[in-house]
Amino acid sequence: LRLSLGLAGRMGSEMESSLETSFSSSGAVSGTLGLLPPARSRIFKIIVIGDSNVGKTCLTYRFCAGRFPDRTEATIGVDFRERAVEIDEERIKEIQLWDTAGQERFRKSMVQHYYRNVHAVVFVYDMTNVASFHSLPSWIEECKQHLLANDIPRILVGNKCDLRNAIQVPTDLAQKFADAHSMPLFETSAKNPNDNDHVEAIFMTLAHKLKSHKPLMLSQPPDSGIILKTEPKPAVTCWC
Amino acid sequence: ADFNAKRKKKVAEIHQALNSDPTDVAALRRMAISEGGLLTDEIRRKVWPKLLNINTNDPPPLSGKDLRQMSKDYQQVLLDVRRSLRRFPPGMPDEQREGLQEELIDIILLILERNPQLHYYQGYHDIVVTFLLVVGERLAASLVEKLSTHHLRDFMDPTMDNTKHILNYLMPIIDQVNPELHDFMQSAEVGTIFALSWLITWFGHVLSDFRHVVRLYDFFLACHPLMPIYFAAVIVLHREQEVLDCDCDMASVHHLLSQIPQDLPYETLISRAGDLFVQFPPSELAREAAAQQQAERTAASTFKDFELASAQQRPDMVLRQRFRGLLRPEDPTKDVLTKPRTNRFVKLAVMGLTVALGAAALAVVKSALEWAPKFQLQLFP
Repeated sequence: LRLSLGLAGRMGSEMESSLETSFSSSGAVSGTLGLLPPARSRIFKIIVIGDSNVGKTCLTYRFCAGRFPDRTEATIGVDFRERAVEIDEERIKEIQLWDTAGQERFRKSMVQHYYRNVHAVVFVYDMTNVASFHSLPSWIEECKQHLLANDIPRILVGNKCDLRNAIQVPTDLAQKFADAHSMPLFETSAKNPNDNDHVEAIFMTLAHKLKSHKPLMLSQPPDSGIILKTEPKPAVTCWC
Repeated sequence: ADFNAKRKKKVAEIHQALNSDPTDVAALRRMAISEGGLLTDEIRRKVWPKLLNINTNDPPPLSGKDLRQMSKDYQQVLLDVRRSLRRFPPGMPDEQREGLQEELIDIILLILERNPQLHYYQGYHDIVVTFLLVVGERLAASLVEKLSTHHLRDFMDPTMDNTKHILNYLMPIIDQVNPELHDFMQSAEVGTIFALSWLITWFGHVLSDFRHVVRLYDFFLACHPLMPIYFAAVIVLHREQEVLDCDCDMASVHHLLSQIPQDLPYETLISRAGDLFVQFPPSELAREAAAQQQAERTAASTFKDFELASAQQRPDMVLRQRFRGLLRPEDPTKDVLTKPRTNRFVKLAVMGLTVALGAAALAVVKSALEWAPKFQLQLFP
């Protein structure tokens, strides 16, 4: 599941020069396997939303490029990143992450277009910023308005769990909220270098759920298909 | 040698325009548009205020520090400015950069405080920093305040509806010049958000070389407020082949276009944007931009068909033909515009870069007078 290093290096230098940079590893993977070009049915489109500065760009970058970006800027509009992954050791899925601007004015009239045909939604809050947690109901409400289907999988991600002394949103509170909205909760850090598999596990769990079309209520561990060193647990304690 | 001679001549002409009484603003405008723009930051410090009709002797009082307590925007501004490290010259010492970031916050809060009708947007800081780096704190506040109540006014509404409306000019411009490219982008349903940061930051957010940014600012300051959307269209048109080589879907095309190449032929593109503006002025495009909004609504209902088709194959060509078949009959305004298209295209190609920039500048200024809800006339005395 790792990206090749060469690719990650190239991405790194692009990130310096442009925030609009997107990433693709699909070439590398399909090259190895010599398969047909990916059909649309093999694409998972995931939209990532939440307040400004909660770390949406860092999370999506971490998953697609395999590392924490050196520096990021405010996302203006919608950025796009993608990565090809292998599920059940055979099928290629391209995971598209649509990274959105956090400022309220953008989502009101700009972002709707990008909700179209979304397969899953990732809500992100900043564990060290309680205001970003309190914004979640309005994000959820807005998401409901944009999405036609009600059964689209949604997950809740608390980011920046590495900043242990600054935590403002306790896990039990977040867990209650997640339960009330029938979402699994993950607490993580896009930054923590010792925690390379966790961001990965979150998105892979989601991808796996999407593939199996089961409703995304965690209480069972992910199936054997995902190749991970450690398996994510339903209510996740910080892995820092 | 030839280059240096031309440059010297231009510097002399700029100074002549600056020193004439009254200042020859029309000449300065032509200089800002024509090849190389205003050449140096030293000249920009003198000419930019003239282009915005600002009296440099009378800067607004600076009191940004006190505003931090009371401003509703302070948190957002702070977040955005702190993260905007890339806007500052690479070799700049941290301490100096941090000082400038503080000034940047102060300028933004001051302008918002003095103009309660204006609303901060992410990306505004990318514009302000350009002025701060070129003209310094006090003058930047004056210039950006004027700019915010004129060129940027629509971006600073309570909502982004007007910004969206301006983005709706993009596809009609492309359609006028290259219908094939236009149709391809429509069937990919790429939308226009890839150009959002270009438009609302005047490309300051996406270009890494500061020299290119200020060159574009010369151009935009001298032109109609809609010129950035023409420039955006010209970039897309310039990348025609890359776009057409893309898979015809939203993700691929958005991905390609949102990564702006850093080695664009700026002078050529500027000249071309000026030509396009003259050929297809905003008044002519207004109707199509409105139709665009209509088309967006219908696009959702036709999308299922595309999805169905593409689930079975990957027929970009087929898809495009189907899309044409589907959309054209529903859109009667298109027919009207299809006929003269060929003629226009030829005419455009002939005119091409041979259009005297002076003439383009004049037309640009003239048509600025005809536009638009919030653009006020005193900008062009």
